[in-house]
Amino acid sequence: MLELLRKISGMHGVSGYEKKVSDTLLAEMKNYTDEQYTDALGNLITVKHGKGKKKLMLCAHMDEIGFMATFIEESGLVRIAPVGGIGFAASSYDRVLSEKGVRGVLVPDSRVKPAEYAADKFTIDIGAKDKKEASKKVSIGDVFRFDNDIVRLCGKRVTGHPLDDRVGCAILVNTAKNLANDQTDYDVYYVFSVQEEVGCRGSKTAAFSVEPDVALAFDVTGTGDTPGAAPMACRVGDGAAIKVKDSSVICDPSLVDALIATAKENRIKYQLEILTYGGTDTSSMQLSAGGCSAGCLSIPCRYIHSANELIDLADAEACADLAAAFIRRGV
Amino acid sequence: MTGKEKIELLRELCLVCGPTGSEEKVADVIREKLGILGYEYTTDRLGNVIVHISREDAPRFMVSAHMDEVGFIVNEITEDGYLRFAALGGIDPRVLSGKHVILEGNDGTPVQGIIGSKAIHHQTPEERKTAKKIKDMYIDIGVKKREEAESFVSLGTSGTFDSEFVLFGDGFIKSKAIDDRLGCAIMLDVLGRIKDKELPLDLYFCFTVREEIGLSGARTAAQALSPEYSVVLESTAVADLPDVPENSRVSELGKGGAISLRDRSTIYDRGFVRFALSIAEKDNIPVQIKRYVSGGNDAGHIHKSNAGVRALAISAPSRYIHSPACVINEADYFSMGDLLYAIITEFDAEEIKNA
Amino acid sequence: MVINMELKELIISLSSLMSVTGYESHDSDRLESLIGEYFDENHTDKLGNRIFVKKCGKEGAPRILVDTHMDEIGMFVTEIKDGGFLTVTNVGGVDTGILQASDVVIYGEKPIFGVVGSTPPHLQKPDDAGKLREIGELLIDTGYKKEELEKLVRVGTPVGFAPKYSTLAGGQIAGKGFDNKSCVACVVEGIKRAGNRLAGDVYLMLSSREETGRAGGGALTGAYNIDPDYALVADVNLGRTPDTKKNETVEVGGGVSLTLCPVTDKKLTKMTVELVKSKGIKYQLDVTGGGTGTNTPDINLTRAGIPCVDVGLPLKCMHTCAEVIDLADSDALASLVCEFVCSEEIAEVFAR
Repeated sequence: MLELLRKISGMHGVSGYEKKVSDTLLAEMKNYTDEQYTDALGNLITVKHGKGKKKLMLCAHMDEIGFMATFIEESGLVRIAPVGGIGFAASSYDRVLSEKGVRGVLVPDSRVKPAEYAADKFTIDIGAKDKKEASKKVSIGDVFRFDNDIVRLCGKRVTGHPLDDRVGCAILVNTAKNLANDQTDYDVYYVFSVQEEVGCRGSKTAAFSVEPDVALAFDVTGTGDTPGAAPMACRVGDGAAIKVKDSSVICDPSLVDALIATAKENRIKYQLEILTYGGTDTSSMQLSAGGCSAGCLSIPCRYIHSANELIDLADAEACADLAAAFIRRGV
Repeated sequence: MTGKEKIELLRELCLVCGPTGSEEKVADVIREKLGILGYEYTTDRLGNVIVHISREDAPRFMVSAHMDEVGFIVNEITEDGYLRFAALGGIDPRVLSGKHVILEGNDGTPVQGIIGSKAIHHQTPEERKTAKKIKDMYIDIGVKKREEAESFVSLGTSGTFDSEFVLFGDGFIKSKAIDDRLGCAIMLDVLGRIKDKELPLDLYFCFTVREEIGLSGARTAAQALSPEYSVVLESTAVADLPDVPENSRVSELGKGGAISLRDRSTIYDRGFVRFALSIAEKDNIPVQIKRYVSGGNDAGHIHKSNAGVRALAISAPSRYIHSPACVINEADYFSMGDLLYAIITEFDAEEIKNA
Repeated sequence: MVINMELKELIISLSSLMSVTGYESHDSDRLESLIGEYFDENHTDKLGNRIFVKKCGKEGAPRILVDTHMDEIGMFVTEIKDGGFLTVTNVGGVDTGILQASDVVIYGEKPIFGVVGSTPPHLQKPDDAGKLREIGELLIDTGYKKEELEKLVRVGTPVGFAPKYSTLAGGQIAGKGFDNKSCVACVVEGIKRAGNRLAGDVYLMLSSREETGRAGGGALTGAYNIDPDYALVADVNLGRTPDTKKNETVEVGGGVSLTLCPVTDKKLTKMTVELVKSKGIKYQLDVTGGGTGTNTPDINLTRAGIPCVDVGLPLKCMHTCAEVIDLADSDALASLVCEFVCSEEIAEVFAR
């Protein structure tokens, strides 16, 4: 999984600009699915037909948070607008990279205290000596991402950006690969959604057209295992996190029960997750068209939305195993 | 009494409405029980109910528990029929909002009401973080005009929480007024057990009034009876909760009655405490020592009355007292009765004095 | 006033049901036994909306949606602590100011009684007084040992208020869960009264997930599936108390409320007001500048748009264990619903 994760995390995919990630994933998914298409918003939808008893939609988002150039100062510094929820205190002096390949440093106005950090207090320094030179490299509307590789830490833990939510995409690919030769009860829709970071927009339209009976999102979740973290019974390394609730969704209790039963039957390490903030594609799928039974398998992740998110690949593997086992278990 | 009968007795006592200063209904139940047990009793001028089991030439020994509970008293009836109130006894305002209450109506029939609370939809972010003060609260009895309200209640009408008596978990009890109907129940239990027994004591059992606002009833009872020894049966606030360090937990539920060494109003008699502990050990009765100096009880006045009294307090560890939902463990209720019985029947003044 | 005892009993029976958001189907059999007989058919959709249908028997009749949400605020367990205590998070707008010393039921492998802990004045620190704790800081006492509790409860187990009801001196009733199951009772009563005079096929939707529906609740998807011609949304409305503003509340005992705002259909609302007036049903108007705080905005924007009238049952102390309603208002709401679903005039104007 690490190799695939490295490959897709290396692709530029700021919200609204997910094409490169999508192309890479399409090439992968052609091997394991019967049908592939891209919808009007850019969601990549791939289908593996089963017995057609029910439609199951698995969804992970391709996009990542980033920055968009809005103005170039006389000094050559580039003003930005955030794309998605940026934690500026965590991001100051990080290296960033534009879609065109221009590198820079995200710098705060040095008079501003960290507590007051906001987008208008930041510029990207691309090393240009003035506006003229900068304008040759950067145009208004160019998007930047964090310029960080995925690196391996102790054991199976990795850090880098974006793990949110390329790890979910990798899980979907692994699950599809795992089930490539299975005849399942479900028609399985592997959906790689766009624009999650700006309000779960892609999954909403994808779910409208797929009209699933059951939908499962795969995304990272916060943890309670770092100093000062809000109390939360979810830890990196404790297995796949079956979401019960976050601030945007209450997962279908019967689906939660089915996932717990599947994990127990197959001895897959799992934990239960209640996140008191944040949301995922789960809610938008749940409420699309006539609604569906929705749930989420989360990958516990520290330092979400920083340039150094941290997960345990064993948790991601547990999510993939649990997804495959759940599908094989049938309707 | 069987365990089940003891629980039923406690249920009956707890559900009676008896806010400080209006203990009559509790006294009625207690007098009825005393009658059934075959005891004579007197009621003094403050309302204390007293049983005397006399024996000449024996030490004068007083056992007491208070009949009153925390509650509230109506101090204003608004034009639109809401009741403003003051607390009777120490109540944390945070346990009041949104609770069902019961008031003693003008004609003696109970009046049901609720303590109103502004809907969360109307609260400012600041209000959501701040507890309301009692003076800003109101009781809603479902009427629209002052005149209508006045047909049910008056200024000075008092009331208490309307809360269910529930057995739950592994032997736990939840109710209002456990402080101190539990003490009353234990006294009735022991009175039943010592009936017609030869005792080494000149014994007074006092069911006292007005503990919650200054230990008043016990004071006059002790002044009138001049006991040499006094045992107070109480409930003690407990913090045996996760995240509370052991030394601050006061005592723990299910480990027996808690014997006080001192609290804010009394330093208990050392010899009496040692005697009680040794009896408990001898008879295998669970008991614990209160580990934290807090609160106070009727002993505060009793031990200083007249020429002075050797005082002992045995308290049931109780979570969340002074709220509609006090919690105790039934094992503590039973073992406290055993301990009081043992102290009375095996009483030895010499051992106490020489300890 | 003649108090309709049957309606009072139905209100209390329905309000006692466990229906914490997400668990609307928990007592589904009991729900069916209480109200099922008044309808031709019923089913539960994918998001947990329970739909009861009563047909008028006419060919090509309009579909009338009567929506009233079934869910109730509550809590989910977040952690099982030493000594048999639980921590929880809120489901919907739970007021932490009313939680301490409240009785709750934990719906685990079996229902478990619990008490929300409080700190007695004797043990309080001076700097703690006057502050309300956040919900995550409160402990629920179950009286079980941790090991036993772990067999009965898990992270995510729902927790609801213990049912408790009082009849107040003036005849109003107080208790938990009137938001919104008192409306469910009134609406059912109204449809029952309508008998065979229906102007269309009535789809009673007991919708799910209203209390957490920031981005839309069950009604959004339920209305999409039903695709009605027009709709009536019934929900409790914020009642006046001494600590609230007159222009933000309605009077408990002042009759059923009808909401005037940009989201409610002007013509449908006007016709409903006329209808209510002509039948002598006690009503009051409630004016808001924005939405309604009910399912109306969601239903209104479903598919090509659905005309809605928004009616309310005045209720004091919303989201507490001592919500207060007046049975005269309940009766007025039932009458309004009855007249609404029977109105041929409205059906004629709003049938597609």
